[in-house]
Amino acid sequence: MFQLISDGGCDFTKEEAQKYNVDIIPFYVSFDQEAFMKEGVDISKDEYFKRLATEKNLFPTTSQPNPQDYMDIYKPHLDAGKDILSLTISSKLSGTYSSATMAADMMKEDYPDRTIVVIDSLTCAVGEGLVLREIIKMRDNGYSLEKTAELAQEIIKTTRVYFSLDTLEYLKKGGRVGPTTALVGGLLGLRPVLHLVDGAVEQLDSVPGRKRVLQLMHEGIVETLQDETENIEICIGHILREEEAAEFKKNIEVALNIKIDTPLTEIGVTIGTHAGPGALAIAYCKKYDKLD
Amino acid sequence: MDTIFGNLNIWFVMAQVLGVITIIFEFASYQIKDKPKYFRTTGIGSFFWLTMFFSIGMATGMATQISLMVAASYSTVRNLVFWRIFSKNTPQSKEFGLNFLLVMIGVALVAGTLAVINSPPEVRWLHILGMIAALSFVIGQYLPGVHYVRITVTIYAIVVLVTQTPVNILYGDFRWNIMGMAIEAAKIISVIVFYVRYSKNPKQSSLQFAKP
Repeated sequence: MFQLISDGGCDFTKEEAQKYNVDIIPFYVSFDQEAFMKEGVDISKDEYFKRLATEKNLFPTTSQPNPQDYMDIYKPHLDAGKDILSLTISSKLSGTYSSATMAADMMKEDYPDRTIVVIDSLTCAVGEGLVLREIIKMRDNGYSLEKTAELAQEIIKTTRVYFSLDTLEYLKKGGRVGPTTALVGGLLGLRPVLHLVDGAVEQLDSVPGRKRVLQLMHEGIVETLQDETENIEICIGHILREEEAAEFKKNIEVALNIKIDTPLTEIGVTIGTHAGPGALAIAYCKKYDKLD
Repeated sequence: MDTIFGNLNIWFVMAQVLGVITIIFEFASYQIKDKPKYFRTTGIGSFFWLTMFFSIGMATGMATQISLMVAASYSTVRNLVFWRIFSKNTPQSKEFGLNFLLVMIGVALVAGTLAVINSPPEVRWLHILGMIAALSFVIGQYLPGVHYVRITVTIYAIVVLVTQTPVNILYGDFRWNIMGMAIEAAKIISVIVFYVRYSKNPKQSSLQFAKP
């Protein structure tokens, strides 16, 4: 059996990582560009986002794990004679894939008989988490590393992730929207809906009002997935909006007449820094056994 | 040749042909949900509208058409700039688009205010109404979704029909401008047709999610 490794972009909790035997390599975050903390290790997501929500002039920065972080995690598994599958956040959003690949190349020199497969998920947050969950199922069902990697690429092609943001403020701080757009969008109460296209974030639309955006997301998801309920996995994520996300999830379950097994997920710092508190995300992908 | 259409010279005939082409593009544009395609189509329509006024000017004298040509140029440039902005769909293009929109609104506000100031007091409120309708339409074009632009263009077209042609309650006479009526009516009819089509498919969400 191979070892699974993912960056913190998958938004797994410590308990989930332990339960599914996945090593998580956290992202770094800093509030002052000097002291960098490991997400989920030195600072919890909850603590991070509460500070982000309350301290208006704060604009933290995030940083990807470096190759040494990966090598430190790879080494004990390679020493134990294990092969490795390493999943990363989209290479269009972070240099994590590059760090993981660089580390794998360096480790191969010392461990020529071992295999390290690095997969660019071309997604993030709940989307990356879903891909990881399908990979876990394949591993636990005895699939080989090669077969798992091959199917993971197929799953990635079917993975969709959408985010509804509560404010344009954090996109403005990150330079992803201009000041006029943020000002006018704020005055009109526009909530942007973002999605990932080929691994990069694009805006799908803007909808006035929180209630309206959730209603339109619900309608759009139900309309898109109503004929696919047997074939898909869904995951819903949020930032400091647990109750709202739980209700959104319940409404989707009722409308599609399904049970979403994936737990509600708290979105992590990499996406959360730009999305900001109040964001809600939904991801779906094909189940691995429907692609096999 | 004197006819009910006036002096039938080649420029006048051409103006009618250009008017019909304008109607076709204006009608087609309000059947389109996709924003860039809408702006491209209505932008081409505005261009033909501009050339129509030019042809009328050539037929009847340019002085009467200058203000209309300025309005049509404004419309053409705005639509084609919005087409480029929405086609690119990047944060930078959107920021530029929004600043452009604000400049356009500013220009329209100045022109509208001057028109209001220079109009007779008894019809001033109608000029204000026209200005509000025109501004709402420009903003409606920029707003997301398919509805705002259709609602505001309908209001704008009704205001134009009522205050300018054919009823012209601004000055109490009756203008029999068939092409002007037809262009505005085409917009209203197109919006009605759109919603008839839309009502046959009411379940379609305005947020389009991709299949897995």
